[in-house]
This record gives sequence, C-alpha cells and structure tokens, in this order.
Amino acid sequence: MEGDAESRSRLRTRAFLDGLSLMKQGAEARVYRGRFLGKAAVVKERFPKAYRHPALDGKLTHRRTAQEVRSIVRCRKAGISAPVVYFVDYVTNCIYLEDIEESTTVRDHIISMQQCGKEASNLCALADKIGQVLARMHDEDVIHGDLTTSNMLLRPPCDDHNLVLIDFGLSFISALPEDKGVDLYVLEKAFLSTHPNTEEIFRALLQSYSSNSKKSGPVIKKLDEVRLRGRKRSMVG
Amino acid sequence: MTETYKLELFPDWKATLLLFKNVQNSADLRRKAIDGSIDGTLLNPAMIVDPFQILVAVNKAIHLQMLGKMKTRTLNSEILFNLSPTNNISEAFKKFGLADNDSGVLIVLTEDGTKKSQEIISQIDGEQVPITALTEFTDIKKVKKMYKLTAQEEKISTVLEAVLCRMSAKDVV
Repeated sequence: MEGDAESRSRLRTRAFLDGLSLMKQGAEARVYRGRFLGKAAVVKERFPKAYRHPALDGKLTHRRTAQEVRSIVRCRKAGISAPVVYFVDYVTNCIYLEDIEESTTVRDHIISMQQCGKEASNLCALADKIGQVLARMHDEDVIHGDLTTSNMLLRPPCDDHNLVLIDFGLSFISALPEDKGVDLYVLEKAFLSTHPNTEEIFRALLQSYSSNSKKSGPVIKKLDEVRLRGRKRSMVG
Repeated sequence: MTETYKLELFPDWKATLLLFKNVQNSADLRRKAIDGSIDGTLLNPAMIVDPFQILVAVNKAIHLQMLGKMKTRTLNSEILFNLSPTNNISEAFKKFGLADNDSGVLIVLTEDGTKKSQEIISQIDGEQVPITALTEFTDIKKVKKMYKLTAQEEKISTVLEAVLCRMSAKDVV
C-alpha cells in the first residue's frame, strides 16, 4: 500500500515538473524554474542514480537533500543570504526554493566587468563582500563544499553586491580548519581558472576573509598547506 | 471576500481562506471543529504573517496525507501542526489554534471550498473581512518570538521568509 502511495506521489511530482522549464541539468540534480503556490520558485530534483545500489542510492540522496536544507537554514539564521526553502519532498527528493529573480551569477558579473575594462576597484569591493560572507559562513561551521563563482548570485542591481549563496548540495557542518581550508582552496582553483588574471582580486577576497573571521588564522595556514598537496590528503605512509 | 487558491502539486485540490473579526462564538466554533461538524482548520490569525504561510502548510499536509505519513490524525489538524516550528503537537494547538475568547478567526478549508464555505460562514457570529486585512491581526512580536527570529537573520530576510524556512525545515533541523 505504502509503495502504491509513493509511486502515485512520484507521478504527481513528475507531472508538475514536466510543466516547468528545465534550467539546468547536473550530475546530481535537475533544476527547474516555475511557479509554486503563486510564487516564482526553483525546484531542485535529485534523481536516482542507476549505477548505485538502490538502498545506498536512496540513503545518500535523502541525506544530501536533508543536509542541503539544514545548511541553507543555518546560513540564513546567521545572516547569510541563501534561497528561502518553501517545501521539501523526501519521496522524490525535491527541494522547492525561492527563485532569486533577475539575479546574475558572480561568474557572469566578473566576466562582464572585465570585458568593459573597469575592473579593479569595483571587483575588489565585490571580493571584499565575498570574503566577508564566507568568513561568516565558516564561523558558523558551515562548509559549502562546492564554492565557485557560479554558485554565488547577485540580486539586482548587481552593483549593490547583495550576495546570495546557492547549491548547498555538498555542504556539511565542520569546525575543522582543514575543511574550511579545502573549501577556500576549491574556490581559489575555480576562481583563478574561470577568471584569468584575477590573482589580485582573489588576494583581496582572502584578505577580507581573514579580517572578518574570528578563526581565520588556522584556516589560512591550512590553505597554504593544501595548496602544496592538493585537495586530498596524502595517503602515503 | 472568500479567497481560493490552487495548489499546483494537487490540481484536484483547492485551499480557501476565510477571515472574520468581532467573532462572538469562538468557543462554540472550536467545539464544532473538534467534534468534526466544522470541517476546516480554525486558526488564531495573530500568528499568521501572510496567506502564503498557510498555503505552504496546506501543501505539506496534503502531501503527507497522501503518503499516509501525517503526524496528526486529520488533515485539518495537520495543517495547523505544519505551521508550528516545533514537533510538539499540543503546543502547536495552544499557539496556533483558536482560543475560546479570540475575536479574530482564520478558517482554512481544503478541497472544493465553494459549497462548504457558505455553510461555515453561516455558523460564525462575526463579520467576514477580506484576507488582505490579515496584517491587522498579525502580532509580529509574538510571531518573532514563536519562530525565534534572530537580529542577524532579519538583516537579510523578511519575517515571512524566516517563518517559511522554519516550517519547511522543522523535520531535519
């Protein structure tokens, strides 16, 4: 009986999602955009992975969905902008979120700023803001897990630097400087490879992170260590 | 004056909201809701910031009912329970349910609201007002206390948004 109810629930969700527009398809999830209860919303659907054992797949997917919701709410409570959570469906592993309308990714913003040549000062101010937000997030022991400039949005107008963090799918809670260092290292790699010649801007970001975080000392030290060895710890010895 | 909303995930269902002021027979209404002769959720509007808050609770209640996973016994009580930031059922009724001498009453009807609402309206000794008047009933101070809003959160969030996050995340936080 219960299986029946679940499959009917799945069909209903499918019918709803098929009526929305697909925004993005990743390795882990699909993201749709549409209206939910009269509001502009984004639905993130974690689909099952056929190559995993169904029991393991179910557990992992459920855990990641729950963790994503937990991290978003934890961030918001600490004053870090992240999309509002409207509804969570643990049968289909869908999260219904606020659509940050008319937003631009930090990635696109930096690219367009660089193109029109008026980079330095404005981008340094943005880097300052990013460092500030990440410092606060790490002080709450939230590790984002996938920091890139595509996972940061700017509410309109862009120049206000009203930053919203998105995609907490790989996030977790940890107080370890190691985890925070790796979080920053992942961002550094992504930042410098997506945006050439921004070493100075990224330095400003770290500078701001250091001066805004109460626990930045050991984190930056770890970051230096991680730079030498890469994201994964050596398993030698 | 009776506002009806559609629920995208459940196309066969509708939610209807009725708001009343100067209600004289709250105790009576509450009794009728308990014995089932009023088939709706009776709420104290002081804890409600926006109709959207109710819709989120209704959507979740119907979702769980269809899965057979409700935490309370009826759809009406589940809607009320979903509004609460905690998992304590009796606490939820105390804070969000109607009290015997409340003069403001918010009623939530699910399914095909049109027929039922006339019948329910006739049982209320009070004056129906449009749902847009809800803000006059909201006790923001109480809401903030109930949902434990923080000062830092309010810098980036409206009260409604903070409330919604707590409602939707209460089973994982």
